[in-house]
Amino acid sequence: MKILIADDEALSRRLLEKTRDRAGYEVIAVENGKQALEQLCKPNGPRLALLDWIMPELDGPGVCRAVRTRTEQPYAYMVLLTSKGSKEETVLGLESGADDYLAKPFNAEELRARLRVGERILLLEDRLVEARENMRFRATHDQLPSLLNRGAVMDLLVRELHRSHREQKSTAILLGDVDHFKRVNDTLGHVVGDEVLIEIAGRLLKSVRSCGFVGRYGGEEFLVVLSNLQSILRARASGRDSQVHLESSSTNR
Amino acid sequence: MDEFLSRVDNDQVLLRELLTIFKEDFPRTMQSLEIAVTALDLKSCARLSHTLKGMLSSLGAIRAAAASAKLEALSSAGETASLQSALKALESEAESLLPELDAYVTGVQR
Repeated sequence: MKILIADDEALSRRLLEKTRDRAGYEVIAVENGKQALEQLCKPNGPRLALLDWIMPELDGPGVCRAVRTRTEQPYAYMVLLTSKGSKEETVLGLESGADDYLAKPFNAEELRARLRVGERILLLEDRLVEARENMRFRATHDQLPSLLNRGAVMDLLVRELHRSHREQKSTAILLGDVDHFKRVNDTLGHVVGDEVLIEIAGRLLKSVRSCGFVGRYGGEEFLVVLSNLQSILRARASGRDSQVHLESSSTNR
Repeated sequence: MDEFLSRVDNDQVLLRELLTIFKEDFPRTMQSLEIAVTALDLKSCARLSHTLKGMLSSLGAIRAAAASAKLEALSSAGETASLQSALKALESEAESLLPELDAYVTGVQR
């Protein structure tokens, strides 16, 4: 795991850098608060940080405050290091957004234990994000792989219509179903029926490419939205295109 | 000092490296501090004595770190009258420190 060490005093910085490196961390050491903030705001930057309180450019609490204003990036667990010891300062440090507070000179065992607490919190966040992403995928996708479900495709359609209205562009909406699909299910079974739907969905996605999106509207009904078209004519051409693909698919089977 | 040795995970190479940094940074910072005390530059006094406190306590030099802490507190409080004597106290602690540290490193190596 990456860890950021920010301390303007060379000896303390080297001591922390070396001991954390030996403890198996990937250490990034910087000598002021501004550099610390830059590192913490980088994509894939360190998420665990030991920050000295008093530093040039930007102090430890200043770094904490700035980091807490970012919202898109994953959580950073920040520990303030300081020789300050009063209750008021502890409160000020934690209020600035620090997760923990460690007095210098630190005790080796205590430092190890407190960093483990930080890692636990970060692991917890990772699990929550992963669970949320799984739920998001399941809530917006059909049982058929890589296809949007009705709710998701309708949401996208509304957004797309607003956008094309605003930008004075045209949007094409194609609603199609598969003829005689019931016969496939009745004669070959639902497993084959699903295979047919997957094949059709795949061909639709391929012909739409990045020009729009495809969702499953109902049982064998598909909704295709084509955006940013130069003209309705092109939309018609694309529509015929899809039809041609699908016709060739049915003759191949 | 034992606390310090546990902090460097009994690593003699690191111990010597830190001592090299110290021998370079400490006299330089002390010199700047002396100038700041003479000039009664309270802001620099506070900052420099804070830096000294940090490196001294990292090394486990408790008495010298305490003397730096005192100087930092006096500077922050604006007690200009006591700065010189606090600096003297720090200097006398520092004087015995380097031979002590060298002896310690030699002792560890043995």
